[in-house]
Amino acid sequence: MRVVIGEDEALLRRGLELMLDDAGHDVVAVAADADELEKVAFMHQPDLVVTDIRMPPTFTDEGLLAALRIRARLPGTAVVVLSQYVQRRYAVELISDQTGGIGYLLKQRIADVGQFLGDLRRVGEGGTAIDPDVVEVMVSRARRSDSAVSALTPRQQEVLGLMAEGRSNASIAARLFLTEKAVVQHASRIYTALSLAVDSDAHRRVLAVLQYLNRE
Amino acid sequence: MGSGTSAPIRRSFSLALLAILCLGLLLVLMLIELLPWGGPFAPALALFPINVLIYLGAGLLAWYRRPSNSMGALILLTGVWVFLGGAGNTDIPSLVLLGTIASSMPLAGFVHLLLAFPSGRLRGRISRATVAVAYCTSLLLQAPRYLFAPDPAAPGMALADAPELARLGGTVQEVVGFIVLISTMLLLARRLRNASKAERRVLVPLYGYGIAAVVVLLFASRILRPVFAWAPPDVAALQLLMFCGVPIAFALGILRGGVARTAELEELGVWLGEAGTKPAIGAALSRALGDPALEVWFWVPGRDGYVDVDGVEVTVAREARHEVEPVELDGRRIGAISYDTALMAEPDLVRTAGRVVAIALDRERLIAELLASRRALQSSRERLVEVADRERRRIAQDLHDGLQVQLVLLALEAQQIANAGDGGTAVRERATELRRGIDAAAAGLREVVHSVMPAALTQRGLSAAAEDLVDRMPVPTTLTLGVVDHECPPVVESTAYFVVAEALANAVKHSRASAIAVHLSRRGDVLDVEVHDDGDGGARAGRGSGLTGMVERVEAMGGEVHIESARGNGTTIRAEIPCGL
Repeated sequence: MRVVIGEDEALLRRGLELMLDDAGHDVVAVAADADELEKVAFMHQPDLVVTDIRMPPTFTDEGLLAALRIRARLPGTAVVVLSQYVQRRYAVELISDQTGGIGYLLKQRIADVGQFLGDLRRVGEGGTAIDPDVVEVMVSRARRSDSAVSALTPRQQEVLGLMAEGRSNASIAARLFLTEKAVVQHASRIYTALSLAVDSDAHRRVLAVLQYLNRE
Repeated sequence: MGSGTSAPIRRSFSLALLAILCLGLLLVLMLIELLPWGGPFAPALALFPINVLIYLGAGLLAWYRRPSNSMGALILLTGVWVFLGGAGNTDIPSLVLLGTIASSMPLAGFVHLLLAFPSGRLRGRISRATVAVAYCTSLLLQAPRYLFAPDPAAPGMALADAPELARLGGTVQEVVGFIVLISTMLLLARRLRNASKAERRVLVPLYGYGIAAVVVLLFASRILRPVFAWAPPDVAALQLLMFCGVPIAFALGILRGGVARTAELEELGVWLGEAGTKPAIGAALSRALGDPALEVWFWVPGRDGYVDVDGVEVTVAREARHEVEPVELDGRRIGAISYDTALMAEPDLVRTAGRVVAIALDRERLIAELLASRRALQSSRERLVEVADRERRRIAQDLHDGLQVQLVLLALEAQQIANAGDGGTAVRERATELRRGIDAAAAGLREVVHSVMPAALTQRGLSAAAEDLVDRMPVPTTLTLGVVDHECPPVVESTAYFVVAEALANAVKHSRASAIAVHLSRRGDVLDVEVHDDGDGGARAGRGSGLTGMVERVEAMGGEVHIESARGNGTTIRAEIPCGL
């Protein structure tokens, strides 16, 4: 994948660059602030933008805003937004255009290299990667306010969370020490319980689950 | 009210009264000189100067002892009418004219005195109307008596010789006078009914005497002469003797007895009322010296500078048209009067005025100083919160930029060692374990940073941060937002955030609530925060409670916290924080 990186911490920027290089990706440009990130993204039109949410000049959420603007001008560009602290509102803003190719992860997740590269790949292919921390907030919030979610078995709730993170059936099966077939069964029961329309496209299914969990 | 605090004013007041005394004595001498002493009326006439003397003495004494009570002045005024009545008996035509016109005025004066006792003020519309009608009756309805008299008292005074008209006018005057008398008696009776026992002991004889005086004045000549065949000089003497008693009775009533205390208290009330109005001195001086731009400043010794009445610092700019006159008290500087030189003819006048108001100025200076120091205290408390807030932000940012980045890099390094695969399984496992440990440490650090200053608050503002709090609540919690982020200063937003955070933490820890509602709204300049739960109640800000710190913080920002938490009724924590816009 052709990747652009936005990160103001030089060491971390370099670390990411090396890691992606090693994984065989092509880091076409790096940027130390949000304006520059937008500029190089428009110039190189990469497959994937990986950016810190908090960058100069205001050190608030300009990384996220830049990512959203890049996606608005270059539809189909996958973006992964990294943050020191994750919250539901930012995730909801990122998935609001319902087109996939979105990642929102804790910065610390970079360290689990294999997992992180897997997440990047999935997002690059149009999938979704939402941090387990945020998903946990989403699921427990839905459990308190939605009887359909609270009626699910603990195992089903676990599967629901992993689906919301954007994981494939195979990945969920490996995580929960289940067969893929069992995961598919759980998933279809969850779909029925939440009255979600069955969709053959795995990415759209994830978005539907996320949308369901974040209903007001 | 001690004589010391207002000595200069008191002194000029005494001097004014002394001047009145001299004038009055001169008038008495004049009267003695001018009255015709021969004839049967001589004993009655002698009662005129005696009367004037008594009115003068009683009026001045009452005025001197109770400066803010106008009863003294009223007694003096009635004395003037008596004097004019006496002057009407001389041979000087102009005095005769005046005396004839004013001959019934003492009657109105008595009614006025009776109704104004003891405060000197007329209370209520009926009282005021009665007194007004009394003066009209005495002055205007008197006119037919002399305008149409067959033998004019003074030359050129009568319009026509029309005894019927004169008699008719006299009857009208008597009828209206009678109505005034009845109205007065009713008013006095009502006042007696409402009076205390001690007051009644003073009021009953006074009112009785006053009414008797009015009755005698009105009807003596009509009844005593025809019915009891009194000689006119005797009737006149009786009337004048009744006159003498009036000022004595009223002066005694004011100076002693049960109502005296009331009058004194009223005086104190007037004084205290004046003390409460803020810019009194500046306004009074401005009026007195005729300079609308005149300002009074106060000296603040600690700052070596002046402040105005609101406690705001002023600079002494030597402008062409403005002069500043320092005011001193007991040798120390207490303030200054800033005035327009173009409007002030005599700068000495300002200096004198400064000496006159020095004491009062000192009092106002102390008030201004108090206001200034209260404001300073409030703003320093706010600054402390702001400084603490800034520190929190700095610490959060330092941890974020430094330690957290380090931990990511260290964990990355550990994982890369694990992935390199050149150290065997044991190394790989230990390196992965190490990475997980570092991740856990990073998670711990994340929580610390979040509790010091949540990222959402700095990044987005109050509503985003409150939403994140509510998202993570283990109890169903609703959030109603009526605020726009960054509408209020960061320190106000973070104060509101910590109120919500503390209230929610408290509800989760202690209340066993099953539902919580958070409301954030803005009302003008005030940010309203309300957190309500349906739990056990019994929450209060006490020692060791997290609520205490929250209350202190809100109060330091000039806001208020109300905690309603009756046992079994849930808890409502409401904070009002001024936005400082």
